[in-house]
Amino acid sequence: MKYLLWIPLLLVLGSCHDDSGYIEVEEDERLAVTIPSNFPPMVYDIEENPPTKLGFALGKKLFYDGKLSANGFISCGFCHEQRYSFTHHGHQFSHGIDDLEGTRNTPSIANMAFFSEFAWDGATSHLDLFPIIPITNEVEMGETMTGVLEKLQADSDYQKAFNAAFEDGGVTHENFLKAIAQFMVMMVSYNSKYDKYVRNEDGVTLTEQELEGLSIFNEKCASCHNTDLFSDGSFRNNGLPPNPNINDLGRALVSGSAEDNYKFKVPSLRNVALTAPYMHDGRFGSLESVLNFYQNGVQDSPTLDPLLKTEEGLGISLNDTEKLALIAFLNTLTDEEFINDERFAEY
Amino acid sequence: MLLVALAASCSSDDDASSDLTGTGTVIIEFDNSMAGDDLLLSASSYTNSQNETLTVTRLNYIVSNFRLTDEDGNIFTYPKDDSYFITSEETGSTEVVLTDIPAGKYTSLTFGIGVDQEKYLQGAEGQGDFLSKAEENNMMWSWQAGYKFLNFEGTFTSPTVTEATNFQIHMGSHGSSLDNYKETTLALETEALVSDDLSPIIHLVVDASDILDGTNKISLSEQAVIMVSEEKSPKIAANVSTMFSVDHVHNGDGSAH
Repeated sequence: MKYLLWIPLLLVLGSCHDDSGYIEVEEDERLAVTIPSNFPPMVYDIEENPPTKLGFALGKKLFYDGKLSANGFISCGFCHEQRYSFTHHGHQFSHGIDDLEGTRNTPSIANMAFFSEFAWDGATSHLDLFPIIPITNEVEMGETMTGVLEKLQADSDYQKAFNAAFEDGGVTHENFLKAIAQFMVMMVSYNSKYDKYVRNEDGVTLTEQELEGLSIFNEKCASCHNTDLFSDGSFRNNGLPPNPNINDLGRALVSGSAEDNYKFKVPSLRNVALTAPYMHDGRFGSLESVLNFYQNGVQDSPTLDPLLKTEEGLGISLNDTEKLALIAFLNTLTDEEFINDERFAEY
Repeated sequence: MLLVALAASCSSDDDASSDLTGTGTVIIEFDNSMAGDDLLLSASSYTNSQNETLTVTRLNYIVSNFRLTDEDGNIFTYPKDDSYFITSEETGSTEVVLTDIPAGKYTSLTFGIGVDQEKYLQGAEGQGDFLSKAEENNMMWSWQAGYKFLNFEGTFTSPTVTEATNFQIHMGSHGSSLDNYKETTLALETEALVSDDLSPIIHLVVDASDILDGTNKISLSEQAVIMVSEEKSPKIAANVSTMFSVDHVHNGDGSAH
């Protein structure tokens, strides 16, 4: 049921005008980008930066290279671990250089090509530019974009890899950001039990409890966690009592608008069983706690999302049976193929 | 004054345009000042209409998307990928050099202050080395992967703030929620003549006092650090777009000012 965009393109690279006799030509080829049939359209313009074999490989090398940080140890993959759907398992906050801690929980980077705003507060609206944020954050990778580029320019392996991957080669910011974006664009998680069920693949069915969970989800959760991305990409205040030690204003830090106080991007729920701890600040250790919060813990404030403030009161009414069913359903969003896909693996 | 007189006499030559062929360079000089006084960083102080006395330590801004309009109304748009510049009083880099401008008699100059959304939403495409330049000049808002269009810093005193206090005015767009990119069009009273032999210098005076004390009055005593303010940032952006004026155009071979 899925279809692939398959536009083969052979790029002959290397120094064709080299007349030394022996010419080493590495052939690049365009990669097929997965657009699952049950997903909304891809937002990322792959024609602007079409993933290729060598561009993707370079992006992967960069993603797992500690050179991108000031002390040489913190790579993107340090906080975005594949087996936890590219989140930082067991860490409430992202851990950066010199044991410094951020104030937000590492979000998954699966299916980012289908979104138009990035980071918990939508601090950038282009996927290409997202890596600037963790690289230059002083409590994450603590580098400068210029500093990273200088390190890569001094490395002959990188010089070769950049020249091979990009027609107008060279270790430049443009090619650096394009390579990492190519790696991320290819990270599509779309083969969970739920996906196979909705696409009628391989005769996969959901259990009675999972189906009940899906029905409760559609009734009580899907107005924000909508489409098969399980997020509408909007910024909302879900009523979490602010952590007084941090008082993270969320989207308001980007927009400067008090109307955006305490709003954060609705996260996708794909692989949610793997991405604990939960919420922008990783305050909840389990899905049970998350559901208990929506049932009992939602706090009113001027920017609380109206959907969580009804005649019945604050939050979402859920009984224990419903909660168990919801969790059973959420477990069907785990995509084993994605977390074990060797294309994305560090080793 | 001698230069102005000379420039004026050049442009009064009605036959000039027919001789203009080929391409030339246009240099735009951004001469930063404070309400008629020369801007001296970390030195002179300037008192504005709100009775606030400022000592400026940094004035950097991004100018972009240059366009020149000729006497017939034809618009020459400088190639977009090459049309982003940082001017910095700190580093003394206050000239924008536009090369390969088609010959003509240009009567107005248009440019933007900041980075437009169209450019931002190209992502990595066409970035060139602008990210490095922005970083070097303290024009990156790294936490939102965006650009400061204006970085204006220093210290101030006022009747209510008697100890010298730091001020920081960083203005840029607010992610996808607020676009602070603005453009300005300046008439060239003396036409800028471009040809193989003629490369004019357009000398702009930039009145940085407008940033806080322009059409919109921004009081540092009320708020001295303004970075992402839904209310004040657009006012500052509007003020900044009015701070440029043409002092004179020097027509010649571009070698002398």
